[in-house]
Amino acid sequence: MVKLDQINISKDGLTKFFSPIEAAILKSLWNEGEMMTSELTEKTKIPLTSIAGTLDRLVKAGYASRRVDNVSGRVRYVYAPVYTEDEVGSEITTKIMDSLVDTFGRVAIENFSKYSDKK
Amino acid sequence: MNILGEINCFGLCIKLSENAPIVGLLIVSSVALLAAGIIIKMPKHRLSMFVSGQIASFLAIISTFYLMKCEGMLSIYLYFGYTLVSSAIIFGVLRFYDRVMIKRLNAKPIKNILSWIQEFTGELANATVYYYDSAVPRAFAAGRSVFVSIGLLETLTNDELKAVLAHEAWHIRNNNCTPFLKQLAVMTFSSHKKDELEELADIFAAEIAGSEPLFSARSKVDKVFI
Repeated sequence: MVKLDQINISKDGLTKFFSPIEAAILKSLWNEGEMMTSELTEKTKIPLTSIAGTLDRLVKAGYASRRVDNVSGRVRYVYAPVYTEDEVGSEITTKIMDSLVDTFGRVAIENFSKYSDKK
Repeated sequence: MNILGEINCFGLCIKLSENAPIVGLLIVSSVALLAAGIIIKMPKHRLSMFVSGQIASFLAIISTFYLMKCEGMLSIYLYFGYTLVSSAIIFGVLRFYDRVMIKRLNAKPIKNILSWIQEFTGELANATVYYYDSAVPRAFAAGRSVFVSIGLLETLTNDELKAVLAHEAWHIRNNNCTPFLKQLAVMTFSSHKKDELEELADIFAAEIAGSEPLFSARSKVDKVFI
């Protein structure tokens, strides 16, 4: 799960909350649904040696799930996202908002209301 | 006796002993053999030279201790204590390290999913092959077991897998002598020549599975099978 001390707001997009490889894998899984390792390396253009360790970490952290497919004498992993993009977004924003309210209290809530009004 | 006193004692005892030339000869042979081990190219001969050099070093250490006339020497007690503890670890704990790895990795027998891998390895060595859940392609041998990750199984072709399995089978076949090599390295304070063992395992793997699959497996997943 995303840890607050790993958040870096100076970066772009999902890499604020995930490493570039984690972000690339998650985006592909959200777009495609189920994917094999070879498809993931092809789609993300990240070599297997770099992607493999990250896949293990994403599965361990609960963001991705995998099953072992055994087809005609070959085994392969099939990956799927555990949460939708919106669910992950909701988890991250809740964490950040909790942290902001905890630190700034009323001021943070007033600013949230401004966003809400703009919307 | 303090350590400085003991150093003086070592020097004095060797100097006064009529067997000092033997110790000197052993030290010179040891250095010559270790140097030859660095120069020679054939891994098998290189390993033999290195091991002979280590044996000569060990004999030099033991004969030096034998020549000591001083009593209650701390360094001799420490050396034997160190040898005993390292033997217990190398011949006891490491021999059964595969049991630890099976539990730690939650590894399962490969015959449950790909029986040909167990049959192929079983013909080369008395070993059980286990697979474990990881996308990182990796294979290694411990005790009488070979471990392969699912990442390795999905990355390599069957021919490349055979090359990796033959490499690991070589390690299992030679697991009877590798603990002695490790122990010798520990007792002579020299580093264990792992590269030679890896090269010998690769030569065996190339004989069994062909050098092309071995080469392509190494280029796909270099450093992941040891």
